[in-house]
Amino acid sequence: MTDQPKKRGGLMKVFKDVVYGMASHEMTRHAIRTRASMEHLFILITMGDLLGVPILPPYYSLRLLPYVTPQIAGWKRRMLRERDLTDVLG
Amino acid sequence: MSLRQVFESEPDRRYVMFGGKGGLGKTTLSATSAFWLASHGKRVLLFSVDPQASLSDIFQRDIFGKGPVPIMENLWAQEVDADRRIREYQEEIRKKILDMYGFDKVPEEIDNYIAAASAEPAMEESAIFDAVVDIIVQGDYDYYIYDLVPLGHALYYLSMAKVYDEWINKITKLRQDMRQYDQVAATMRREEKMQEDQILGELTYIKDRINASSRILTDRKRTAFFFVVVPEEMIILDTQKAAALFAKFDVPLSGYIVNRVLPPDLGQGKIPPYLRNRIAMQQKYMAQIQATFGDEVRAYVPEMERDVTGLPMIERLAQRLFVDGGAVS
Repeated sequence: MTDQPKKRGGLMKVFKDVVYGMASHEMTRHAIRTRASMEHLFILITMGDLLGVPILPPYYSLRLLPYVTPQIAGWKRRMLRERDLTDVLG
Repeated sequence: MSLRQVFESEPDRRYVMFGGKGGLGKTTLSATSAFWLASHGKRVLLFSVDPQASLSDIFQRDIFGKGPVPIMENLWAQEVDADRRIREYQEEIRKKILDMYGFDKVPEEIDNYIAAASAEPAMEESAIFDAVVDIIVQGDYDYYIYDLVPLGHALYYLSMAKVYDEWINKITKLRQDMRQYDQVAATMRREEKMQEDQILGELTYIKDRINASSRILTDRKRTAFFFVVVPEEMIILDTQKAAALFAKFDVPLSGYIVNRVLPPDLGQGKIPPYLRNRIAMQQKYMAQIQATFGDEVRAYVPEMERDVTGLPMIERLAQRLFVDGGAVS
């Protein structure tokens, strides 16, 4: 009896998660993926020099460098990796 | 209207610039104007945006990279040391990375990028541009007199404000769009708090600085831009072209100053043919200047008997420029 409300809460949570999974999960995933692509575009625009793409103006992009430092490695991998048919299919 | 009348009738024009081709006397005229204003009780900062500044030469003392140096009562002069500024800036970025992530040393790749950035061709100009923003936003002086770089560079410098402005607006917009996607994801996941976007904060900071600077450069009420010319054909033609280009960047052109005018009594008596030809040539171009620039000429400055360096000589030129000879009716 005592753990009845907890169980109901648990059921409610499962129900919410299922609804979220059916209705919004895909949209959330899409939003996050789009956001990630934009992040890479943003770094390309501000830090393109790192790949040899000349970018204006370096003085102010340096100000942003500390904030994107952890993402630089992943971004370079994504920008410079070879692409093949599976990319298109994926 | 003479240069003196411009200063007297438009006291709100606190940002004064002298532009023109190299070697025509921009530094001399900016120093002379600064001297005259300072000796009339105005607090004046004269500063150079030229990496090869010559204020140290005209005041005959080393002021390079020393901040605003007092020259006389009410007058300070400053030459920006762009290299040092870049070095300090790079160090600041490195320190920020170390502090933010608790690294012992900056990752090699990132460090190489920071080091290589200083070799960028635009880096020095950008550093000076940024230093000038610092100088003018402080606002402690009645007058800020810019001793500009020669024309091509000056145009680059002025256009930089515009280019930066467009660049920063675009990436700020992109960053704001990214923020919206963050918001969508957060709402759907029912997250109440979103992390603050520090990059957006930095972009806003940069944007405010650039806007402050480009507002001043194009503000008709607060800024006066004078072209320095000498009576020579190529200089007159180049100045006309430059004036049209400057107008495109909305620089408020306040008139022309004609420098190196030979004293009229020089042609009296028996003189060698070489000198007579030079005088005749100058008279021809003086007429051309009057026809081209007309009543926009603010002063005719005589060729002095020796180069203008040191305060006593600057004072003599100020007397000529603002009190007797330079006045234009």
